[in-house]
Amino acid sequence: MKELKIPIFELSNNSFKLVVDTNIYSKEALNATCYKYTDKYFIYQKSADNPNEIDVIFETKSEVVVNEDTVKSFCNDLIDQQVRFDVNNRFGHIRDLIVEEAFKPVNK
Amino acid sequence: MKYKYTILPFRFDHFNKEEYLLTNDVGEYIFLSNKDFEKFINYELDMKSDLFYDLASKQIATSDKIEDVVAMLATKFRTKKSILRDFTSLHMVVPTLRCNSSCIYCQVKRHESSDHSADMTKKTAKNIVKCIFEGPSPYIKIEFQGGDPSTDFEMVKYIIEEAEWQNLFKKRELGFVICTNLTLLTPEMVKYLKKHKCDISTSLDGPKDLHDTNRPLQDKNLDHHEIFEKNVKMVRDIWGDDDCVSALMTTSKYSLGRYKEIIDEYIRLGFNNIFLRSLNPYGFAKEYKEKVSYPIEEFVENFKEGLDYIIEMNKKGKFFVEGFAALLLKRILTPFATGFVDLQSPAGVGIAGAIYDYDGSVYVADEGRMLARFKNYYFKLGNVNENTFQEMFNGNQLHEIIENSCNECLPGCADCVFQPYCGADPVRNYSVQGDVVGHRPTNEMCIKTKAIIHYLMEKLHEGDPETINIFWSWIK
Ligand code: SF4
Repeated sequence: MKELKIPIFELSNNSFKLVVDTNIYSKEALNATCYKYTDKYFIYQKSADNPNEIDVIFETKSEVVVNEDTVKSFCNDLIDQQVRFDVNNRFGHIRDLIVEEAFKPVNK
Repeated sequence: MKYKYTILPFRFDHFNKEEYLLTNDVGEYIFLSNKDFEKFINYELDMKSDLFYDLASKQIATSDKIEDVVAMLATKFRTKKSILRDFTSLHMVVPTLRCNSSCIYCQVKRHESSDHSADMTKKTAKNIVKCIFEGPSPYIKIEFQGGDPSTDFEMVKYIIEEAEWQNLFKKRELGFVICTNLTLLTPEMVKYLKKHKCDISTSLDGPKDLHDTNRPLQDKNLDHHEIFEKNVKMVRDIWGDDDCVSALMTTSKYSLGRYKEIIDEYIRLGFNNIFLRSLNPYGFAKEYKEKVSYPIEEFVENFKEGLDYIIEMNKKGKFFVEGFAALLLKRILTPFATGFVDLQSPAGVGIAGAIYDYDGSVYVADEGRMLARFKNYYFKLGNVNENTFQEMFNGNQLHEIIENSCNECLPGCADCVFQPYCGADPVRNYSVQGDVVGHRPTNEMCIKTKAIIHYLMEKLHEGDPETINIFWSWIK
């Protein structure tokens, strides 16, 4: 196993591993990011030895081969997804208020 | 921690290398530089800056009392969703499966013109009209589809008159449309349609060679395009109004690379709009995919080229509208509700439109009827000869489909920046991807819609005043 740049590792046979720190990233953000990549790659998540880490394994699915850049762009998308999650955590309840208010006339 | 302003619900994505695009549930949008975005979400924006005022005017942030902003957003949200107020108003009726064409992408199990085995009976027609009027909507549009409904014009007349009779008591806003290739229409038929205010919708795929390739008539001795052209003129002469007939185009493999010619043909024949439509993946189109189909990315490239051509034409003074862009622009630029059965949230299937087959079977959408051809009845709500309106339109089946078609909470859509302008198509998801929810990263409808909205957003962001004026003229 070749360690490229913390926390990315190249495994054998066109596959890579990313170690995700769960102190920084939530499961929700991680799942949503994995979902975005399921069109081109096989993606697995598994608990790492360290309880504060999750391993994400990328494997080549079709003609699009996994490489280091794939994993790096996954890291960027993960940041976006975490921002969405954080922002939504802060204001998400306001969305519920809006929908409730909007449907008041028909709920009377 | 006390923040100096409140951030309101919004979605975002990278628009290009330097900027983010932000949208909110009511369809407001704004572009922020990467730096401003960072500042914004970290509560570091100057509340006296123009940018903050912009965000506040779009209700993406506020320094006011939150209750007031919630009330305003709620009103806008209610307006956007007001299409839900009326329930099903579009009722597509198939009087017969007979047709005299053999279009290469045909999805219907069409019958020869002489084969009456799939003609509607009067009893079924009566029950369909009864069922339609049991719905609560104050608007009723009955759209005749086929086969080609003109092959059973007597049944079309029967349904129109039955509906008009019912409406003497029910007093709804009633309208009719007939979808036909025009070739069998006679002046008498057209006079009848005019008298009963039945609009005519037809199909035109482009110049003669392309139209005849995509839509050949079964009788090889007849020239489809020539009869079409002659009959468009006849219809307009009788009606005395060039807009009485509208046309739809479908893109087959043979149409790619020819959008300019197609648009020119529409203009030559006196139409002032076009809806550049990709092939849908049901029925024969799926079976003979390699014969008529193409990668969705190719459609998108053609669409962009076609749209640019139309914009240039408008700039030269010819008013001509691209229908899909106009629909999306209305969603992006105005607070108004836009129902479009194939792209709304929740999906329009069953609750905005439904289709009644010649045997009385009711499906949530035309494509549901196509699936039934392959013995898949997932989208069948029942039959007017056996079930009540309540059983069909308020049953578990429809509830389940609709619950799974709100893109506010579909995987991938829930946090997509284009969600407020987009919609869900559970029938297509089911047909192509195996379940009503679908898989967004590989979903062709998603890929297409995302690319087209992005392109429109680029145009809006470029801000060319002439282009913006043209866009506004399309949505008035
Ligand atoms: S279908 Fe695609 S473009 Fe539309 S809201 Fe969902 S993710 Fe966004």
